[in-house]
Amino acid sequence: MPGFEVLQGGIWSNIEDLGRYGYAHVGVTNSGAMDEYAYRWSQKLLGNKEGNAIEVMLGGLELKATADVTICVCGADLDFKINQHKKEMWQTYQVKKNDVLGFYGQVNGLRAYLAVKEGFQVQKKYSSYARMYKEEKLKKGDFIPFRPSKCKDTKRVSSFYIPTYNNTLTLHLLLGAQQHLFSQSTKETFFSTSYTLTPHMSPMGYKLQGKILVSNKGGIISEGIPFGTVQIPPDGEPIILLKERQTIGGYPKIGTVLASDCFALAQLPIGARIRFKEIHITDAQKMMKVFYGIFF
Amino acid sequence: MKIETVSVDSVMIYMGIIISEEVLDKVQNTYTRLKSLEHVVDLTPSYTSILLQYDIFYYDSVSIKNAIINHLSKGDGKYEMHRGKLIKIPVDYTQGLDLQSVADFHNISSQELIDKHTQPIYRVYAIGFLVGFAYLGIVDGSIKTPRLETPRTKVPKGSVGIAESQTAVYPEESAGGWNILGITEFDDFHLFEVGDSVRFTDARI
Repeated sequence: MPGFEVLQGGIWSNIEDLGRYGYAHVGVTNSGAMDEYAYRWSQKLLGNKEGNAIEVMLGGLELKATADVTICVCGADLDFKINQHKKEMWQTYQVKKNDVLGFYGQVNGLRAYLAVKEGFQVQKKYSSYARMYKEEKLKKGDFIPFRPSKCKDTKRVSSFYIPTYNNTLTLHLLLGAQQHLFSQSTKETFFSTSYTLTPHMSPMGYKLQGKILVSNKGGIISEGIPFGTVQIPPDGEPIILLKERQTIGGYPKIGTVLASDCFALAQLPIGARIRFKEIHITDAQKMMKVFYGIFF
Repeated sequence: MKIETVSVDSVMIYMGIIISEEVLDKVQNTYTRLKSLEHVVDLTPSYTSILLQYDIFYYDSVSIKNAIINHLSKGDGKYEMHRGKLIKIPVDYTQGLDLQSVADFHNISSQELIDKHTQPIYRVYAIGFLVGFAYLGIVDGSIKTPRLETPRTKVPKGSVGIAESQTAVYPEESAGGWNILGITEFDDFHLFEVGDSVRFTDARI
């Protein structure tokens, strides 16, 4: 089968999809695309039902196609080029045999999604194509098979839907079942000050720097951790737990960040400033339905 | 039973407020029955709770609670305890990064701490955090220890730790906030099932 030869692996690139569900009871986490917004657009443009994409973090990935294939790139601007010519993102392209695709540097955002029509033909693990961040990444010499495809017309995402990634972001937060472990003044501090993204940012979680938060209890009985949980360890520095979070944990949680805001967070660089804004469950569910509705 | 909204698409079902074998039975029973509830995305059982993620196009935050209660009221509530197998794990306590500090915290000698940690037969209360990470209880009340104030970014594979009244072995190198009492060469993490019995032994003996 034809595919992409990996000429350069880059900083971190690998295959992702929407992640795996139904394995939390044996300790297997979700994984999957960190920015589902850009990922879902890459699939919609190509009409992929149960596809996948290469998540390219920060750049450095270079690939050579061994057959014609229809592709698109959505998400971060990582100086995407085909045969050294700068190409637009958020649209489909017809790649020809021997074309070289590359991501040559970080311009805006952190993560780009390179998808091919019908998806890369790789094995699933635990019902998902998603690879674990800490376990593997694409490297020089790897081969990623795809089915050849041809497409006459170009499809584009309307400019209304194309985001720019800023260095500030407000995250909607749902206060959680353990909010009583935090005093009123602690909660006020949390919602009124800004936090900075630190180098401790991985698909497992993002550690924040800012005003220290104190909980009335150092730990709770370990329990399942929802996506977007903000946990407060005793050192008082919040951690937002994301796609590759541990399935169970025992630090007190102040609440959870709305999923669609976590996807936007995944494009922010170290040093970006974030704020939290309280949201009610009814509004939160409405916003997520609007989010998913874009891709129906 | 108490059901709380914990995220935009999940609820936490609390079956008790203390770690006990009775609550473990309830959690396992409820977890097994919830597997047949429709439009549930994921279930994460733990010591006293079950995290349930649902499809927000089928339930809202109120109707999911009613659906759970209705679904559970259908069964007879009986559950047979899975006693499981006995797994023995030899531990080299001389390699414990926090052995001395935990002993000092409780004003006991490190040998007394080792004796107290190796004495009980623990049960597997949950599996999670990492693949093969078995949460074991219940630690002797006199050596209950809070988590580290700042989690370590790297805990070596095979580290045997305690946190509050829980103890566990790290199946791989990972970040973690538990107090490390020793290291084991045990590597059969796939054997663990909820309900199994586990005994730690001092590898030097």
